[in-house]
Amino acid sequence: MSSDYTYDEQGQFFPFFILTLTGLVTLPLTYNLLRPSKELENTAPRIKSDFKPEHADLIDAQKRKRLRKERRIKRIVTVILGYAVMAWMVYLIVVTARTVVKAYDPYDILGVSRSADEKAISRHYKRMSLVYHPDKIRPDPAKNETMETLNERFVELTKAYKALTDEEVRNNYLQFGHPDGKQSFSIGIALPQFIVMDGNGKYVLLVYGALLGVLLPYIVGKWWYGSQRYTKERVLVASAGNIFREYKDDITEGGIVGALSSGEEFKDMLKGAAAESGLAKLEKRVLADDNSFLSAKDRAALKQLDSSSRRKALALLWAYLGRIDLGDASLDAEKYEAAPVALSLTEAFTAIALAFGNLGPIVGAFKTSQNLIQAVSPGSSPLLQLPNFTDAIVKSVEGEGTKEHLTIQKYMELPEAQRRSLTVGAGLLSDKQYTDAITVAKQLPVLQPERIFFKVMGEKVITPSSLVQLVVKARFIPPGSTSVPPVNPSDLEDIDPDEDDLEALMGRKPAKNRTIKTEDGKKVESKIETIQPPLAHAPYLARDHSPRWNIFLADAKQGKMAVPPFTFTTFDKPIFDEAGKPTYNVQTLKMQFQAPPQVGDFTFILHMLCDSYMGLDNTAQITLHIDDPAKAVSLEEDDDISEPDEDSIAGQMQAIKTGQAPKKKAKDSDDSSESDTDGDAGDTSDTDTETEDED
Amino acid sequence: MFGVDWLGLAVPLAYLGILLGSLATFSSLYRKRKAHNAASLEPWFPAHLQRDIYFSLLHLEPSSNEKKSPAIPDSIFKASLLRRAAEDIRRIMALRSQKQALSTLLQRGSVGDDLWKRFERAEKEMEDEVKDVASEANAYVPGWGQTIFQSANEMLNNEIYRKRMEEQASNVEEERKWWDKKKTSIQEGFMKELEEDSSATKTTPTSTTTKDLDTASTTSPAPGASVQGSDDDAVLVEAENTSSTPNSPASAKKKGKGKK
Repeated sequence: MSSDYTYDEQGQFFPFFILTLTGLVTLPLTYNLLRPSKELENTAPRIKSDFKPEHADLIDAQKRKRLRKERRIKRIVTVILGYAVMAWMVYLIVVTARTVVKAYDPYDILGVSRSADEKAISRHYKRMSLVYHPDKIRPDPAKNETMETLNERFVELTKAYKALTDEEVRNNYLQFGHPDGKQSFSIGIALPQFIVMDGNGKYVLLVYGALLGVLLPYIVGKWWYGSQRYTKERVLVASAGNIFREYKDDITEGGIVGALSSGEEFKDMLKGAAAESGLAKLEKRVLADDNSFLSAKDRAALKQLDSSSRRKALALLWAYLGRIDLGDASLDAEKYEAAPVALSLTEAFTAIALAFGNLGPIVGAFKTSQNLIQAVSPGSSPLLQLPNFTDAIVKSVEGEGTKEHLTIQKYMELPEAQRRSLTVGAGLLSDKQYTDAITVAKQLPVLQPERIFFKVMGEKVITPSSLVQLVVKARFIPPGSTSVPPVNPSDLEDIDPDEDDLEALMGRKPAKNRTIKTEDGKKVESKIETIQPPLAHAPYLARDHSPRWNIFLADAKQGKMAVPPFTFTTFDKPIFDEAGKPTYNVQTLKMQFQAPPQVGDFTFILHMLCDSYMGLDNTAQITLHIDDPAKAVSLEEDDDISEPDEDSIAGQMQAIKTGQAPKKKAKDSDDSSESDTDGDAGDTSDTDTETEDED
Repeated sequence: MFGVDWLGLAVPLAYLGILLGSLATFSSLYRKRKAHNAASLEPWFPAHLQRDIYFSLLHLEPSSNEKKSPAIPDSIFKASLLRRAAEDIRRIMALRSQKQALSTLLQRGSVGDDLWKRFERAEKEMEDEVKDVASEANAYVPGWGQTIFQSANEMLNNEIYRKRMEEQASNVEEERKWWDKKKTSIQEGFMKELEEDSSATKTTPTSTTTKDLDTASTTSPAPGASVQGSDDDAVLVEAENTSSTPNSPASAKKKGKGKK
């Protein structure tokens, strides 16, 4: 052990070292733990409703259970331990006597202030020597004094006096705080001596070996295998495999529910005896003949399952979707626990369906997610989403023997009196329940597309293989809205972002400043906000869910998906004002994709699906018109001539008229020339779209 | 004599020994586990029933009281081989349609490696199976190996069509019942209205628009496009109703299904 370094023998620096280390780990972890979560579900507003479903307590218990699971107990324990160690170290620091090497301080010995000048010092010394000279005083046994100590003290005093009267020493002292001038730094290691003591070496080596050779590989391995167990959709790899095997090109929504039940997560949920307990009762209730929502196929699929845990999972899911009262608190609790699990598995199924690209299963996957969130079985009426609605009430509203279901929008379009007479009455809803249902219905975010078109940024025509933007202008019109204002036509136009806003031009970010045209043709800059729609009104789902809108293009003839879905969770304008009234703002949804490499017309079906509510889906037919690139070039040349230059007189005139220099050439021409291009204006305007709503 | 410090020499040797030993142990354990995992992979397809039937026919053991195994006519062997080929075709089609999707999913990290391994093994198995079937077929009739899969494919398609048709046919009864019920309810509604109209004076022409025919038929007694109450109208409506009712989408659907 080399003696070049001093070790921390008294243990006075060691606590500092440990304190810093633990602080480095604990403080960021604390921040991580206490930071408000930015997840969609935690920041979104809620739909106001007083409705409490039948098993509200069970659902809330499941919600709390889920929250507890997400609370990250391990991290909390680590943080607490960290703070305990830190507190202990602080205590050690405070308690340990600091053995500061006392520098020789002549002022202190003489007992004069530092500001004293030479004269004062010598005067003081004289007085002191009169008192303390060994010839003058006797040693006082009471104070434990001997002749030697008295002598010593006097020598000290004399030395101090000498030092202070020496000009150089005094200057050194005043400048560097030390009589010998500047001091060199001494380097030590903040490790207690016992670590490096002979004999302890092997133990230290053992601990070191254990840390580096055992603990580190263990932690890394655990992390690696832990992350390997899950797929990108946060679903167990084995579940994704099972669901993939269950996938069929012609799978129906009932089949999808069956596929979801193959998830390994259900095995974890129904461990051991839980897989069997109550299974017979559950199946009896689910397979009862009056459950008309179960098709013969679904019944057969449930009956032929071998594994009891999967069988139970599927039965629980059907019980949840059919809102069947199982008459047993533990079964009902499991029913509400199964639904969020299935919902997360739906994501895996969606990913798989998207990889296959067949339209049926993709739409089915989104519909299954709607069903699971709203606890409505596939093929049942969307009206069941409203609070207090049951099958009997739906039957009364829709009439006996109908096959087509009424959507909430259609229901709310009925005249108030008729609606009320159909819904309220003996055996039906009470007035209070009816008002509850209607208040919820009037808050549902129904996204109604107003205009759908294709465009290429900064171009007038769409050329082959260019980066096309599909722009959907849509408004939130809650069901039953009366006096919806007409759309402001300028809201339906889309203006390119500034040329220097590269991020936006590349499509990586929305434009920083959105220019909006007002009626008199001026452009107004407005800041972009992100507005979240309210959380899905899902009283039966034991989890908060923020609605997501998926837009994709499909090829109707082949039944295949053409452009994969874009998911929208936030919007750029407020949906409701402070009073909770809908604002009917026009929202802009954009998605970018590569145009086909051939010239021609391509007809797509645009699907707009909300994953949380049933019956809010929209489809529209839309044609993508791709022009010859040569045509685009000729058009551009035309523009250059007609466009007034910034420096020309015409440009100045325009600047005076519009109050702004025509700097943004591309944009101005884009909007104005749409109408005044020569002859074939109809064909060459940048957006050649025919949109017709399909019912 | 060299004073060798044996103990001092042993320390680095022991270190090396422990290091290499632990690495070797780890490697062998890891490989064993991997091999075990690969061996315990679930097969992609369930048991190949048709193949099993074929083989059991081929190796039919004589039962205890008979000395010779029963003679099986060639046609049974051939039929069973055809069945086996049809099942093979079905599996190959399934594998082919899944391959593209599975590889993209694997790239995206949406499925695990195990699934891909299982898939590859199934593919290899099917390759061998196809070869085996072709050679067996050639053994019965030279040259049949080239055509057996074509005929098997046709068998498979036929089966698919038949299944679909049966599925549609199974709905007929239910749909029929539903339609009969609906028809009577509509008729009742008309009759009631007629009675009301004839009893009441013609001062109240009930002009409910039939925007929603379904709800109106059961709840409100006034469906149909503003029936004015004369007998001619009633006849006209009835005739339309019983013969075809082209304006009702449900019946149109029904008819389409019936034709299939």
